Amino acid sequence: MTPLDSSAALWNLLEHNRNNCEWKLTVMATSAVARETVFALRRQIAKIEGTLPERLQAPAGAAPVDAPQDPTADVTPKNIPPKNLTIVRRGLAVAPPDAFVRTGAEGLDTALGGGLPKAALSEIHGAATRDAGAVAGFALSLVSLILKQGPRLPVLWIGTAEIFREAGFPYATGLHRLFGIEPEQLLFSEAPRLLDALWTAEEAARMTALAAVILEIRGSPQRLDLTATRRLHARAQSAGRPVFLLRQAGEPEPTAAPVRLVLSAAPSAPRQTIAGPLAGSIGRPAFTVSIGKSRTALPGQFTLEWNPDERSFEERRAGERRQERAANPVPVVSASRRGKDPAPASGAVLAFAAVGSPAAGDQPSPGERAAHRRPRRAG
Amino acid sequence: MISHRQANAQRIAALDERAEALHLKRGMGIADARAMHPSIDVVEADPETDRRLLESLADWCDRYTPLVAIDAADGLYLDVTGCTHLFGGERAMLDDILSRFFHQGFDVRAGLAATPGAAWAAARFSGDRIVPGGEEEALLAPLPLAALRIEPDIRASLESVGLRTAGAVMAAPRAPLARRFGRSLLLRLDQALGRLDEAVSPRLPVAPLSVERHLAEPIMLTDEIERLVKMLATTLKADLERRGEGARRLALLLFRVDGAVSRIAVGTSRPLREPLLIQKLFHERLAALEQDIDAGYGFDLVRLSVLSAAAFDMQQADLTGETRDDSADIALFADRIRARLGDSAVLKPVAVESHLPERAVAMLPYAEAPQRVSAPKQPDKIQDTSRPVLRPERPIRLFRSPEPIEVPATEMPEGPPLNFRWRRALYRVARAEGPERIAPEWWREAAGQEATRDYFRIEDSDGRRYWLYRQGLYGASQAAPRWFMHGVFA
Repeated sequence: MTPLDSSAALWNLLEHNRNNCEWKLTVMATSAVARETVFALRRQIAKIEGTLPERLQAPAGAAPVDAPQDPTADVTPKNIPPKNLTIVRRGLAVAPPDAFVRTGAEGLDTALGGGLPKAALSEIHGAATRDAGAVAGFALSLVSLILKQGPRLPVLWIGTAEIFREAGFPYATGLHRLFGIEPEQLLFSEAPRLLDALWTAEEAARMTALAAVILEIRGSPQRLDLTATRRLHARAQSAGRPVFLLRQAGEPEPTAAPVRLVLSAAPSAPRQTIAGPLAGSIGRPAFTVSIGKSRTALPGQFTLEWNPDERSFEERRAGERRQERAANPVPVVSASRRGKDPAPASGAVLAFAAVGSPAAGDQPSPGERAAHRRPRRAG
Repeated sequence: MISHRQANAQRIAALDERAEALHLKRGMGIADARAMHPSIDVVEADPETDRRLLESLADWCDRYTPLVAIDAADGLYLDVTGCTHLFGGERAMLDDILSRFFHQGFDVRAGLAATPGAAWAAARFSGDRIVPGGEEEALLAPLPLAALRIEPDIRASLESVGLRTAGAVMAAPRAPLARRFGRSLLLRLDQALGRLDEAVSPRLPVAPLSVERHLAEPIMLTDEIERLVKMLATTLKADLERRGEGARRLALLLFRVDGAVSRIAVGTSRPLREPLLIQKLFHERLAALEQDIDAGYGFDLVRLSVLSAAAFDMQQADLTGETRDDSADIALFADRIRARLGDSAVLKPVAVESHLPERAVAMLPYAEAPQRVSAPKQPDKIQDTSRPVLRPERPIRLFRSPEPIEVPATEMPEGPPLNFRWRRALYRVARAEGPERIAPEWWREAAGQEATRDYFRIEDSDGRRYWLYRQGLYGASQAAPRWFMHGVFA
């Protein structure tokens, strides 16, 4: 065991200071000697952390940031940044472009520096157990993206008995319809104890015969510490397969995972029909993804929508959904919930017409609206 | 002295030598015995424990032969045909058995003969005797009728006509004997004399293959056991190759010096013969059982048996000499997880034709799930041809048992809830789709008690999507419909 291994404190320090310190160091280290020192330190850090490539951007506002499609692009001469910036790639190896799972959502991919690392442990958090659907859905859509490109290998989903009881067992039929993962490709492992689940995950993480490993844990157990996650990360790195650590209702803790995303469900857009959006309907699943931790990205929030037919993500811009709704305020086809009642026109309209005078014809006064057309009371 | 209740009275079931010296006998009433010797120590009989002890002894006797059968309450049959040479001959084997039992603290009588009946008689009536083949008649002739293993009432009626020894019965004409005392007498006689074959049914199925190693120095450490497993598996591999088979179930028997036997079984999801892989499986199993296996003073005999085998299909290596078989890796991985965490540790979903969501997917242990033979279909082909245009949405997570929720109000009697309380938290319904009506499957039994379910897709005010259902219809049944949470959407 190296001294660095044993000192969790140093790791914590790295963890907490990563996002802030690097920028400052990069920009401030102007003298050659200081820069050399910084590079030496960087190399050492990269050695400890593995050789995840990194693209450091200029601090916000310094210059327009280039957003290369290819993570290797910024080393080519034409992309050399202005002299007042120092862009440093940490890590000794240059990663091939397929080292990332590209989500397809431009904003998120750019923020993450090309996507989620493919050969690594990635944490996906949900704030509460009730977010289990969004957390699992996002992880599975990433798996679906991997399967779409790569060979059709099985996927192993490991969970403790507790999480499967609290959040529900993955349902193969639903997974097939939404993510195109066939039941034959799915393997589940339910461990009675966390220790067994971790052991299973460690054994699975080193297998190249699996497309991805999903480990689902509830809460913030003591066992799932820096050492345990580092073991998982190292195995994932050597096997070249992703391990997704889903943590329901867990606190963000220092772990070895290079990326942590915090997931929550986003209201879905209405269903698209030939005649336009169908009001009151529940369309494609949508997620709100915030970057909780990343070596390259600043914290950010993105809303993604999963397209089950294309098996791809679409990024939803802020306010896009509202505009859509405003453009088509009237339901074109009656939805089941706010179904148009065919009856009320006959008796009620006549009776009210005799008593009052409906203003401007098309808008009855609030008192005259049929009960079922009244804006719904909340609660 | 051990008592048991027989015919409504406490009687002596078994007694030791010192009690015999006091002229007490089996079957004597406890009250009489106490009257004769007030100081005797009486223990209640415990047939269950005796049975367990006998079974553990039978396990231990497995070291001599795989064919061990339990005889009534106090005997064991060992079919040592073909095994004696391994222990240096019949006499040496019998001495070994007797001395080992003696050191374990048992008072054992043994007999060895060509037929089970003769061996039984030799063990019980002439003690520690080896009867060469063909001399059964000479052995049995002077013995009492009890040596023939016949029922007590037949014995009593034989004695009443003056036939008091086995020899007398043998000398009597057969036809009148059969007529008067039934066929069982002659059957037992013929079996004891070897004129009829008698099958001893062994306790455990005989493993088709097993290899073992006797150790001069007992081993205690798990590492040593694992190393030994690998050596045994290497020996086993040659036998499996000769038979063109691979092991599906393997058992490791560890015989402890003091007589306890540990039996560790592992299963494989595909035929296996590679020693290293077998060792890996036992490594996991031993790691899981670490607390349960007590090495005590060590194990002096280790045996590896193949309990069931299946045809092993050879893999053709490609020109680079590598076989790339991902499913084999996964099978081995599943076996290892299973060896450590139990049979249902790795589950595989299998689609079932059913409308009920909870029945539509069956979770089977990996080893039992049907393996796909053909190559997987390409997804785009499925989309083009076989996919129906409209399929109802299904959640990605399903609760094992639907959780009851409180629904204070619905918009319409048959409509979705306005809000609901689930796990003590209140959820406001922002949007809803449905209902999708799923009726119980009438062709199944017990479907009559179930009520029709109306499923709704619900999105709450935070954007989370749920799958709720109302069980029963308003006004149709006597009780008000109940609401349940059944799943979660992405």
